[in-house]
Amino acid sequence: MSAPKKRNFHIEAFKHKVVVDPRYADKTWKVLEHAINEIYNHNASGLSFEELYRNAYNMVLHKFGDKLYSGLVGTLTMHLKEIAKLIEAAQGGLFLEELDRKWADHNKALRMIRDILMYMDRTYIPNTHKTPVHELGLNLWRDHIIHSSEIQTRLLTMLLELVQRERTGEVINRGLMRNVIKMLMELGLSVYQEEFEKHFIEVSSNFYSLESQQFIECCDCGDYLKKAERRLNEEMERVSHYLIDRTETKITNVVENEMISNHMQRLIHMENSGLVSMLVDDKYEDLGRMYSLFHRVPDGLSSIRDVMTSHLRETGKQLVMDPERLKDPVDFVQRLLDKKDKYDNIISLAFNNDKTFQNALNSSFEHFINLNSRSPEFISLFVDDKLRKGLKGVSEEDVEVILDKVMMLFRYLQEKDVFEKYYKQHLAKRLLSGKSISEDVERSMIVKLKTECGYQFTSKLEGMFTDMKTSQDTVQEFYANQAAETADSPTLAIQVLTTGSWPTQPSTPCNLPTEILEVCEKFRTYYLGKHTGRRLTWQTNMGTADLKATFGKGQKHELNVSTYQMCILMLFNNADCLTYKEIEQATEIPASDLKRCLQSLACVKGKNVLRKEPMGKDIGEEDAFFFNDKFTSKFYKVKIGTVAAQKETEPENQETRQKVEEDRKPQIEAAIVRIMKSRRVLDHNNLVAEVTKQLQSRFMPNPVLIKKRIESLIEREFLERDKEDRKLYRYLA
Amino acid sequence: MKKEDTVKLISAEGFEFVIDKNAAMVSQTIRNMLTSPGSFSETQHGVVRFPEISTPILEKICQYFYWSLQFASGKETEFYIEPELTLELMMAANYLHT
Repeated sequence: MSAPKKRNFHIEAFKHKVVVDPRYADKTWKVLEHAINEIYNHNASGLSFEELYRNAYNMVLHKFGDKLYSGLVGTLTMHLKEIAKLIEAAQGGLFLEELDRKWADHNKALRMIRDILMYMDRTYIPNTHKTPVHELGLNLWRDHIIHSSEIQTRLLTMLLELVQRERTGEVINRGLMRNVIKMLMELGLSVYQEEFEKHFIEVSSNFYSLESQQFIECCDCGDYLKKAERRLNEEMERVSHYLIDRTETKITNVVENEMISNHMQRLIHMENSGLVSMLVDDKYEDLGRMYSLFHRVPDGLSSIRDVMTSHLRETGKQLVMDPERLKDPVDFVQRLLDKKDKYDNIISLAFNNDKTFQNALNSSFEHFINLNSRSPEFISLFVDDKLRKGLKGVSEEDVEVILDKVMMLFRYLQEKDVFEKYYKQHLAKRLLSGKSISEDVERSMIVKLKTECGYQFTSKLEGMFTDMKTSQDTVQEFYANQAAETADSPTLAIQVLTTGSWPTQPSTPCNLPTEILEVCEKFRTYYLGKHTGRRLTWQTNMGTADLKATFGKGQKHELNVSTYQMCILMLFNNADCLTYKEIEQATEIPASDLKRCLQSLACVKGKNVLRKEPMGKDIGEEDAFFFNDKFTSKFYKVKIGTVAAQKETEPENQETRQKVEEDRKPQIEAAIVRIMKSRRVLDHNNLVAEVTKQLQSRFMPNPVLIKKRIESLIEREFLERDKEDRKLYRYLA
Repeated sequence: MKKEDTVKLISAEGFEFVIDKNAAMVSQTIRNMLTSPGSFSETQHGVVRFPEISTPILEKICQYFYWSLQFASGKETEFYIEPELTLELMMAANYLHT
């Protein structure tokens, strides 16, 4: 304000009317009261906002705020009482509509009043800490209308009745419901809860408890779940349409509780339609529904999981222990694979790939596969069967898929070293008889085993492959070198096997025919000339031979036989008839093997190149054998006596088991020494725990066994016991 | 200026000031008046009488409305108030909640 001109100005008195008139306040109030009445009578159009606003303004300004406020309260109360009477008078269905309409009116009027009394709201009310106009209006509404006893009960009953009708399938006026509920919310959350929500939840809970009782008596599990799901969706939809969001969790809890939690066990165990039958029949949709519904309640999923686990273990155990099944190992494993596939499907399709279920599945499988101690052998036989013929004509990806599935079963085995032993045996037989369908597939399997168990597991297996390759090269060189000398001897295909890699077989005596012996000796000199310091032993029990035979009517056949059988047949070049004893003497083949060979040469229909007298399956000491001139066969090449892998007989099984046990001892000892070397001092329990941890990828060591090994190591002075503490061990360098 | 966009403010002496609705809405009171749900006469006719505000004050107030709209758009200018008007102007401003 930089006015240089000094003006003589003086503050003039207000041009407003100064309050002289004592009844000024009353007069002003009368005007306002009249206005409020008009508003409530829907007569507001004639009023002038400005006039009313000015009046209110003046009252407050001149300190008549109290009168204004109390007058307001009084007028509003009076009007509301009238309105309450009107609402109460409404009949039946019209009650809610009347309430809704009056509420809308009240709101509008309240807004107008608030606008007029804006000045009071701004200045008087903060000063005196009274309720602002709008809120005042709401409170008064609540007090006189909602809390008026008759209206209160009628309101609640009507609302609940409408909900009930909708639940039984009728269509109700949702808009009206929404407005009324909104009104309750605007009056305050506690009003909503007290007047409506609390009772709503209670009534709903009773309703659903009854309904669920009814349903469970008459429906089977799948139907019941469908109904429960429907009700749940219905309630959620109801909330979204005309209730408040906060109610959603409460009502869904009610439904979940009544319909699901309370009947959970009964549903799961229901005869013929409960969880177990759903699993058996692959009812993916029902299972999926059960999963999503039970997911909502505490302990729901764990109940499902428990029942599934126990069922799986039961059926798995039956499968594994069934003596019928044990007769055919390939079928046995196939069934296991099928079972795994089935449950994998169920978990991915119905249980949403839930990890906890996957874990339950894995632990159950692990449990029952290991119940049968011959599982490792069977799995190896299964792979053997597949690699011999089962995978012929199957595409590469499918092959991978099958092998991967087998690997999954392999993982469940606790005694992986047993598997290794059998696998080696079977692989050896496959390689030596040339029966594997594809080297690529074999190698692929080895790679998988390597990824799973490490290099150690597969080093010997790979050694076997290397041997085969090297042998091929060696034989080629041999024949190249000695072409002239060996031209008219029988052709030998030789495999040189490194003893460590291949399963150990005791070498059996066998007198080879002279022609063969010559070539063998030549090869031996050749080989030992190339590699000094090695020793060669002929394994006659593992070889095969192809013989050209001419029979009585001149028909020629090529016979594919084992080495033993070849020795036997060559004898008949020089004699037409031989007794068992003579054959035994000449060939020096052990009795049991000899008997088996003779059986397959003489007693098998279609392959009887020898004739036995007397006829019959069993070989006696005095039996005589004749060369069978009358032998016929459709094929030129005849295969006799396969060397395929068979399920072991009991004694063989025992033998293998023992070997495995023997092998385990050094492994345990190695682990103990390794651990003690790094720890120096360790107590018994920890040592046992560490050893178990290290070895569990191959087999589960028995703590008693570990203790024995520890004792043995102490005797051999690798370890010593601590002088004071008997449980402590010390490493001796 | 269309009729719907304007509002007429009438002073105590009867002077009529026609201004934009936007400008008038600067005053909370006038805003409430015009947007109130009830069918008051003001909203219907678009006319507001102020029998207790004199003409020069009302004139200054209208100027203030426009100045304040300008100020809102960023231009910083000083709103000059003659000292004699100050008190009454403040009273009116209080009344109009501006």
